[in-house]
Amino acid sequence: MKSLKILFACSCLLGMMWSCTDLEERPVGILAPEAIFRTANDVEVAVLGSVGLLATEQLYGRQFTSALMLRSDMVDIGDRGTVAARIQMNDFNMDDNNAMVLAIWPRFYEVISAANAALAGSEIVTGSEARINALAAEARFMRAFSYFHLVRNFGEIPYIDFFVSDPATVKNISKTSVATIYQNIIQDLEFAKQWLPDRQPNNVRTRATKGTAAAYLANVHLTLENWQRAYEEAKWVIDNKDRFGYQLMEDFQDLYKAHLADGLAEHIFAVDFLGLQTAPGNINVDFTASMTGIRGADRSGWSVNVPSLKVYQTWPEGDYRKRVSFDSAIMMGGRLQPYPNFVNTQRPHIAKYTRFPGNAQGEFQQSDHNYPDMRYAEVLLIAAEALGEISGATAEAVGYVNQVRARARNEAGVMNSFPADLNSGISKDEFIRLVIEERRFELAFEHKRWYDIQRRRMGNEVFLGPNSLEPRSNFSEARDYLWPIPRQELENNPNLLPQNPGY
Amino acid sequence: MKFKLLSISTALKILLLMCVMVQSSLSYGQTRTVSGTVSEDNGDPIIGATVQIKGTTIGTVTDIDGRYTLSIESSNPVLVFRSVGFKNQEVALGNQSVVNVTLDRDVSSLNEVVVVGYGTQRRSDLTGSVSSVKSEELTAFPAINVAQALQGRAAGVNIQANNGAPGSSFKIRIRGGTSINASSDPIFVVDGFIGGALPPPEDIESIEVLKDASATAIYGSRGANGVILVTTRRGKKGAPRIEFNTAFSSQEEIARLDLLNASEFMDYIQEIRPQFNSLGADTNWQDEIFRPGFIQNHQFSISGASDNVDYYVSSAFFDQKGVIIGSGFNRFSVTSNVNIKASERLKIGMNMFVQRSAQEGTRTQENSGGSNNTGVVAGAFKFEPDQPVFDENGRYTIARMNDPHDNPVAVAREFQNETETDRIQVNFLADYQLTDNLTFRTTLGGTTSSAREGTYLPTLLNAGRNVGGQGSITGRRSTLLLNENYLTYTKSFNNVHNLTVMGGYSYQSQVNENWSATGQNFVTDAFEFWNLGAASVWQRPTSSLSDWVLSSFYARLNYGYDDRYLVQFNARYDGSSTFSANNKWAFFPSTALAWNVSNEDFLKDNETVSMFKIRGSYGLTGNQAISPFQTLARFSDIFTVVDGRPTNAIRPTTVANDNLTWETTAQLNIGTDLSFFSDRFYATFEYYRMVTRDLLFQVPLPQYSGFTSQLQNAGRVENKGIEITVGGRIIDRGFQWNTDFNLSTNRNQVLSLPNGNDILYGAFPGHMVGLGQTHILREGFPVGSFFGWIYDGVYQVGDTFIPGGGFEQAPGGERFRDLNGDGILNANDRDIIGNPHPNFIFGWNNDFTWKNFDLNIFFQGTQGNDILSYTLMELDLLSGINNATRMALNRWTPENTDTDVPRAALGRARRVSTRFIYDGSYIRLRNLALGYNLPYDVARRVGVQRARIFVSAQNILTFTNYRGYDPEVNWNSGGAANGNLNLGIDYGSYPNVKSYTLGLNIAF
Repeated sequence: MKSLKILFACSCLLGMMWSCTDLEERPVGILAPEAIFRTANDVEVAVLGSVGLLATEQLYGRQFTSALMLRSDMVDIGDRGTVAARIQMNDFNMDDNNAMVLAIWPRFYEVISAANAALAGSEIVTGSEARINALAAEARFMRAFSYFHLVRNFGEIPYIDFFVSDPATVKNISKTSVATIYQNIIQDLEFAKQWLPDRQPNNVRTRATKGTAAAYLANVHLTLENWQRAYEEAKWVIDNKDRFGYQLMEDFQDLYKAHLADGLAEHIFAVDFLGLQTAPGNINVDFTASMTGIRGADRSGWSVNVPSLKVYQTWPEGDYRKRVSFDSAIMMGGRLQPYPNFVNTQRPHIAKYTRFPGNAQGEFQQSDHNYPDMRYAEVLLIAAEALGEISGATAEAVGYVNQVRARARNEAGVMNSFPADLNSGISKDEFIRLVIEERRFELAFEHKRWYDIQRRRMGNEVFLGPNSLEPRSNFSEARDYLWPIPRQELENNPNLLPQNPGY
Repeated sequence: MKFKLLSISTALKILLLMCVMVQSSLSYGQTRTVSGTVSEDNGDPIIGATVQIKGTTIGTVTDIDGRYTLSIESSNPVLVFRSVGFKNQEVALGNQSVVNVTLDRDVSSLNEVVVVGYGTQRRSDLTGSVSSVKSEELTAFPAINVAQALQGRAAGVNIQANNGAPGSSFKIRIRGGTSINASSDPIFVVDGFIGGALPPPEDIESIEVLKDASATAIYGSRGANGVILVTTRRGKKGAPRIEFNTAFSSQEEIARLDLLNASEFMDYIQEIRPQFNSLGADTNWQDEIFRPGFIQNHQFSISGASDNVDYYVSSAFFDQKGVIIGSGFNRFSVTSNVNIKASERLKIGMNMFVQRSAQEGTRTQENSGGSNNTGVVAGAFKFEPDQPVFDENGRYTIARMNDPHDNPVAVAREFQNETETDRIQVNFLADYQLTDNLTFRTTLGGTTSSAREGTYLPTLLNAGRNVGGQGSITGRRSTLLLNENYLTYTKSFNNVHNLTVMGGYSYQSQVNENWSATGQNFVTDAFEFWNLGAASVWQRPTSSLSDWVLSSFYARLNYGYDDRYLVQFNARYDGSSTFSANNKWAFFPSTALAWNVSNEDFLKDNETVSMFKIRGSYGLTGNQAISPFQTLARFSDIFTVVDGRPTNAIRPTTVANDNLTWETTAQLNIGTDLSFFSDRFYATFEYYRMVTRDLLFQVPLPQYSGFTSQLQNAGRVENKGIEITVGGRIIDRGFQWNTDFNLSTNRNQVLSLPNGNDILYGAFPGHMVGLGQTHILREGFPVGSFFGWIYDGVYQVGDTFIPGGGFEQAPGGERFRDLNGDGILNANDRDIIGNPHPNFIFGWNNDFTWKNFDLNIFFQGTQGNDILSYTLMELDLLSGINNATRMALNRWTPENTDTDVPRAALGRARRVSTRFIYDGSYIRLRNLALGYNLPYDVARRVGVQRARIFVSAQNILTFTNYRGYDPEVNWNSGGAANGNLNLGIDYGSYPNVKSYTLGLNIAF
C-alpha cells in the first residue's frame, strides 16, 4: 500500500514537472525584429545601423578605401611583402576570389539591408509624418550611396530595394541593368533631397541632409555625363551653402586634423571613426592611416599604400597641398631622415592621415579620422567640370576652380603664389583637363581618382601612356574598369552569370 | 600484483551481502567457527572476498589481510569463495576449522557488470556496442584529464590533442564526426549526471563508451555522437584504506623544425630585398622559447565501507610547467562519494566534486597572427634569425620584413594570459525499493562552473606599446541542473525469462552568463589586469546571457530468454527550448537483438569456444547541438559613432528559421563477441553504418540579401566502419603477457548537400590573407577535404607560362596544373587534393608481468590521413617576409634549376596546393612503463599494504613521414563546426611532449 502511495506521489510529481515544462525561448539581450519598430526613434536607430556599417574595416577602415587608392595611378604598393590580394588589386592581376573584393561586397549589401530594414520600419511606425519621412529619406540616401559605389565598381549587380526577411525569395534573381540601377539611385536621392532636413543635430556630416543628397545627385549625374543636371545640383548646393553650413576650410591642412573632424564645415558626407575604440566584427576598426604610414619611422606605419615616386616628383613643388599630402622625411631613430633613407620603402608617403590622426594607437590603428566621401571643394569642381562641358571655360566655371586654388595658396596664413588662378578663355578641352588635374591634387589619396579614371575612360592614357605615373603594361580597358563579382555569389546564384569580362 | 579495483559489481555484492548478513543475524544457534585466508597465487591476500555457505545466505567477507571467520551451523557445508576478477572456488568443509584458499585470476569479463544509461547490465546481456576502459589504463601515466587517458584505449574512439599546451582540450570522435556544423563531441555522463564535470583519472573506477544506437538512444537528442559513461570510485567493504599515488615527469617538445640560420636567411632575403642588411645576430628562436617541462601529480584517498555506509574521499593535485616559457597548468580537486543505506528499502547517496584549475596560457595556434596576435610557436619558426632578442636599446626586437610583430620570446614572456576555473558539482540520489521487483530512483544534480580569464598586453611588447598596455578580464559562469526520476522493474519467470523495464522523466536546464571588460593605456604595466579603472581608454564592455531547457521521457525494455536470446527496446522523447517553434519535440527509438550462441546446447560444453555472441541493433539518435536563440530572427546592436560619440544603433544579423530541428542519426550496428579457451583469448568485431540527416547547415545565402548564411537542416552525411578488438593472455605462466589490440576504420562521406551544390569554405589563420577557400564539402567526399591546385614544380627558362590572374609567370615560379585545360589558370583549376580522415586508427597495449615486475608498452597510431600545413606554407612560401625551413637552400636560382622548390619571389600569393599537403600517418609509442611491486611480506613489514614504484616514458618514439614537427595536429579544431570542418590543419600548435615519469603508488 505504502508503495502504491509513493508511486502515486511520484506520478503526481512527474505530472507537475511536465506541466511546468516550458520550451518557449525568451532571449535576453537580443533583439527580435517584431518587437523593434514602434516609434520613429526605432527607425532612427536602424538608420544609424546602416551608417555605422560604413565605419568598418571592410569599407572606410581599410579594404574599400585601399582598393580605390591602389586601383588608381596615384597610389602604388609600397612594401611588396604585403598581402598578395592587394598587390593583385594594384597590378590589375586579380581573380574573382580577391580577398579585398570578398570583404567589400557583402559589407555594402549589409548597409543596404540595414537601410531597407529601417525603411520597412518607417512604414509601420506611427508618429510625426515629417520625422518619419526624414528618416526614410536618410535610409534611402544610405541605399543610394551604397549602390552608387557598387554599380561603379561592379557594373550590373543584383538590386534589392526591400528588406529581405526570407532569403529564399531573392535566391534566383538576376542582375539589374546599370541604367536601371542609376535610375533607382537618382529616385532615392531625389526623395532624400525632398525630405531630409537642412541640417542634422550638431551639424554632423556623417548623416545625410538635403545638401548631401544634392551633392550626390550632382556626382551621379556627372558620372552619367548628364552635365546639365550635374551642374544644376552642384550649383544648388553652392548657392545654398550657408543654409547647409558648407564652406572651404581656410587652411588645407585643417581638413586632415582628426581632432577637428566632427562637423567640419567642408565635409558634406563623411564616415566617422572614434579613435582607439573597436567593436567585434571589425566595426569601427580603422587601419587607413596605418596602411599609408612609414614603416620603420619612430611612429611606424605599414608602408602598404604608397604613391609611386613619380607622383611625388611630378607634383609642382610650389603647391602647399603637396606638403600637406606627403611626408618626404620622417623622424627615424630620433633623427629626421629624408625618404631615400627610409628603411622599408624609399619613397615619400601619404601624410594626410598620419600627421594628425587624433587619438590613435601606436601604429595609427583606430584613428579618430572622419573620412570624407564628399566635401565642398569637390562640389565646386563638379560644378566647374559640368559647366565646362556645357559652355566651356566661362568665368563662372573658372571661378569655381579658382575658389579651390585660392584656398590652396594659404599656407598657414601665408599666401603662396602657387597655384595661380585660371583664366577664363582657355579652350574647353584644356579647361576640362585642368579640372581633372585639379581634382587629382585637391582630392589626392581620397578615393576619388580611380572613379575619375573610370568615368573619363583614361585608363590607357594613365597606365599605358608615356607619362604614366604608375605604368601597368597589362592594364586592359575591357577588363579592369570593373571588378569581378565574388565567385561564390555566382556559384550560389547562376542567374548572376556571366562574370564581368576578363575574370 | 595490481591495485585492487572497486567496481559496481563489488558494490552490488557488498550490498547483497549486507542483506545476507542482516538476515543471518536474525538466525541464532551456533556450533563452531571456521577461519582462514584467501589469497592470490602469488600469496597476496584478497581483500573483500566473500565466503558463503552454499545454499544459504550465511556468509562474510575477508578483511585487509584476506582473513575471514565464519560461524557454521550445518554439519558438512560447502564454502563458496568469490571475488571479482577471480574464479569462484568451492570447498567442502568437512571437519576442518581452518580453510586457506588460493583463487585463480579470472580474465573472463562476462559476468562483469557494466554501466549503461540509466542502469547496469551483465556484460553477457549487452545487446549494444559498449567498450569499457578500466582504472589501470586510465592511470598508466599522469594524464591531464580523462580524454588524454582514453587515447587509443577503445576501438572506434579517436582522440587527438587539439593543442599541446598545458590544459588544452582534446577532440574526441566516436565513430567519426556525425555532423558538419553542430558539435560531434560525445556527451559525458558522470555517475548518471549528463554533462557533469569530469574528475581526475585517478578518481575514476571505469569508463564505458556507448557507441551504437541501442546503447545511446536512451540519451535521445544528445546520443548521436556516442556517450561516455564515467563511474567514479566507491568505498569498499573493510577497514579504511589509504592510498597515495604520486608521479613526477620531465618533459621536452616532441620535435623541432630545421630552419635557416642567420646567414642562410640573409642570403635568401637579399636575393629579393637587397635593402635589408643583416642585423648581425644569429638567434635560434626555438632554443629561446623551449625549456624542459615538468609535471607533478599527487592523489590521496581514504575509502572504506561499513554495513550501512560506504565512502570514498580523494584529493588530487596536478601541476604542469609547460615546455614553452610562460605556460603552465594546475588543478586541485576533491572528490567525495558517500552512500548510505538509510533503511531496508531506502538508499541515499551523494557525489561531490570540487575543483579549481588554473591555466597560464601562451599564445599558440593563433587564429590571426597579425602584428598584435602573433603566436609563440609560429613566431619561433618565422621570426628573423638575424635579429637578437633585444635591440641595442634593450627593447624586444620586432619583425622588420613581415608585419611588425613582436619576437616570440617577448610574446611568451610578457603577454599575460591566466584562466582560473572553479567547478562545484553535487549529485544526490535516492533509491527506493517499492516492491521486490520495482525500484524508484530519483537524482538531483547541480554543477556550476565559474571561470575568470585575465589578459594583459604590456608596453614591453610592440602590440602593447601601440595601445599603451591592454588589460582585460572576462567572466564566464554556467549552471547546469538535472533531475532524473525513473522506475526499474526486474523480474525473472521460471528461471528462463528475464525481464527488465525502465521508464522515467528528466528535466535539465543550463544557464550561461558571460561578461568582459577591457581597458587600454595605463600609467604602468604593474596593474596587469587588476585595475582596469586606471586605463585612460575604455573599451566597450560586453555581457550576455543564454539558457536552455530540455525535458524528456524515456523507457527501455530488456527481455532475455534463457540467457540465449536477448531483445531490447529503447525510446526517448525529448523537448528542447533551443529548437524552432514548429519542432520542439522529437522521438528517438532503437531496438536490438542478441543471440548468445555459446549458451546453446551445441556449444555449451565446447572447450575451445567459451563465448560466442551475435548482436545487431538499429535506432535513431539526435544531435541537438544548436545554440540557444539561433532559430530566431535577430537584430543586433552595432557600435556606431555620431558626432564623435557612440550612439544606439541596430542592424539585422540573423534570419529566422521556424522549421529548424535536430540532426537525426540512424545507426545500424552488427557485432560479434568471441572468446576461446576459457576466455583466455577474446575478440570483438563490429560493423556500423550511420547516416545523419537534417544536417544543421549554415547554408550560404546570396550575400546581396544582406546576410551571409542561414542555419538550415539540409544534407546528409554517412559514417561507416569496422572495429576490431582482439587480445588475451599470450603467455600465462610465471611470466605473463597480456595484449589488447584495437583497430578501427571509419569512412566519412557527405551523401547530400543543399541542392547538390559544393560548399567551399576557408579555414586558415587570419593573417594568411588571400587563401580564400581552402576546403570543400562535396557529395561523395569526406567532410573537411582539402581543396586547391595541383603543384607541378617550377617553371624553367623557356617554358610557356600559363596565364591567369595572380599566377606567377617567370622562370623559377610556382607552376600549377591547368586542370580543365582551358589555357588559363584560375579557381576552376582546383580539385580535392587531400583527405584529413585516417584510413584506420589503432591502439596496441601490452602488459608483461614477471614476479614483482610489470611492464607496459602501449602504441597508438593513425594511418592514411592527410595534413594541410600552413606552418610549412608560411615558411616555404619564400616571399621574403620571414624565415624558411632548410628546404629553401634548394630553391630555384638560375644556377640551381633542377629543383621543385620555387625561387624567392616578393608578393607570391599564398595558395593551397599539393605542395603543402602531406601524409600525416604516424605510429607513436604512447607509453613505456616499468613497475616494481614490493613483495607482500616486505610491504607488511614496513607497514604498508602494497607499494609500487614505476618509471615510464611517454611519446618517446614516433614513426612518421610528416615534415612538420608533429603529425598530431589540430589547428583551430575545437568547438562545434570547427571540430568537424578544420581537420588535419597544422599551424603553430603548441607541440606535444615527450615525458619521462617516475611514480609511486602506495596503500596503507
